[in-house]
Amino acid sequence: MPVESRVDAMTDETIKIECRSVSKIFKQRGGKVQIPVLNSISLSVVENEFLVIVGPGQCGKTTLLRIIGGLETPTTGNVLLDGKEVSGPGPDRGMVFQKYTLFPWKTVMGNVEMGLKLGGMSKKERREIAGHYINLVGLQGFEKAFPHQLSGGMKQRVGIARAYANDPKVLLLDEPFGQLDAQTRYLMEQETARIWLAEKKTVVFVTNSIEEAVYLADRIVTLEGKLPGRMKSTYVVNLPRPREHIDKEFLKLRHMITHETELLL
Amino acid sequence: MKTTMEHTISVHATSQGNGPAAFVRRVLKNRHFLYVVSIAGLLIIWHFFAVSSKDSKYMPTPFMVLNELWRIAHENLAGKNLWGHLWSSLHRVLIGFAIGSIVGVPLGLFMALNRYVNALVKPVFDLIKPMPPISWISLAILWFGIGEESKVFIIAIGALVPALINSYNGIRLVDPALYDAIRMLGANRWQTLVEVTFPAGFPALFAGLQISLSVAWSCVLAAELVSARSGMGFLIILGMTMSKPAMILSGMVVIAVTAYLITAVLSKVEKWVCPWKVELMQ
Repeated sequence: MPVESRVDAMTDETIKIECRSVSKIFKQRGGKVQIPVLNSISLSVVENEFLVIVGPGQCGKTTLLRIIGGLETPTTGNVLLDGKEVSGPGPDRGMVFQKYTLFPWKTVMGNVEMGLKLGGMSKKERREIAGHYINLVGLQGFEKAFPHQLSGGMKQRVGIARAYANDPKVLLLDEPFGQLDAQTRYLMEQETARIWLAEKKTVVFVTNSIEEAVYLADRIVTLEGKLPGRMKSTYVVNLPRPREHIDKEFLKLRHMITHETELLL
Repeated sequence: MKTTMEHTISVHATSQGNGPAAFVRRVLKNRHFLYVVSIAGLLIIWHFFAVSSKDSKYMPTPFMVLNELWRIAHENLAGKNLWGHLWSSLHRVLIGFAIGSIVGVPLGLFMALNRYVNALVKPVFDLIKPMPPISWISLAILWFGIGEESKVFIIAIGALVPALINSYNGIRLVDPALYDAIRMLGANRWQTLVEVTFPAGFPALFAGLQISLSVAWSCVLAAELVSARSGMGFLIILGMTMSKPAMILSGMVVIAVTAYLITAVLSKVEKWVCPWKVELMQ
């Protein structure tokens, strides 16, 4: 490919998130024990891209996501969002947590509209927007239910709607389906793809499942399997959507990544 | 949950057939039936124990206690009937409980939210905490006399301790992930406090108030046993000086029933103010 056209392709897409040699060292017992978690991660995510970060447990992928979210500060390096350095959590990034982390004292509606409420939007307006996203994730009729009355899959639908309703610039999902049974997990992957196609967002999605990554991603970044987390390789997924888990190309890519990362799955 | 459980039980029972054995099985599985058996059993054992004892004067039967209850509910003792005395005690409990929780809850909240407040208050509180509230009684009488104030003082001290501990712990033990979630949604410090800290700490705070109220109830009785001219504690002491065990037992029954009712009302209130907590209550 000629160099010029590649440059053209790059400038065509706006860079949303840029991690610049992000490293993180956790200190324990007053700094006596130092655990390096991330080692010089540099990556960028372009607008409306679905980026999936894959790695086994304990490889620092959640920490990387929390640094992008501003919930952790990098020891060295920094993260830019729209060219501005991230200095803390904020509503321009929406996060979906592995353990759902819904507000148990709020109904589904109360959870989904929370971000808008914090932003000072009138009740009527925010109810309307929250209602739209509750419908989008397929929870119409459950507006008045409390989180403890919902199944795991439904809880995570609320988590996704809550993040979406706040209209963040980027969506960060931290192993969102890790606690679900296999069947619900497949369903939620399909739902995520459907929701994302319906309302495109820049997404960073962290998972330990290569299959999930190939199903969802525009681009996959793999991390090495031991601490500190280093970037290993990047794969562009050009398969048409909706994708089929048993499609030949799908399996080929899945096999290739599995082979190269020495991950079982 | 409860209804589904009962449902499965009845289904199970009918599947066993309709004979007398099945009927007995069904009755034995009925919770309410067993409750009645339990209370009736206690009354029967009590009755026969009382009847067979040598001196029925010191061990009255349940019927004698019931009779006595009826009498003191209508007759005045030291200017008040049973309800008057009950109200005297409740009145003290409510004032003392109100003072104790109005001081204890905010203090616990501030201690949990600010480490300087915590560092200043905690050592003093840790010193006061293990003292039984009753141990203040002599001092309270010297300071405030034998009137209402000394009793209210003891009740307030007794109510303060659990109110403070539980609001402190309730706030300290809030799941940090909830703070992550609300901050990612754009909450500032004040919004974090209102939308997460308070609602998340509320069940523990409320549990603390429930304990406070039951401590307050035991404190009032203790205070009245020492010195009082009204109240349920006074009634019991009066029964002792008049050598009337039936009167003592009547007083004890009323005290127990009142405490039970207070607890029942509070759990209803809790269900009403935190409907999302039902899961934990079962």
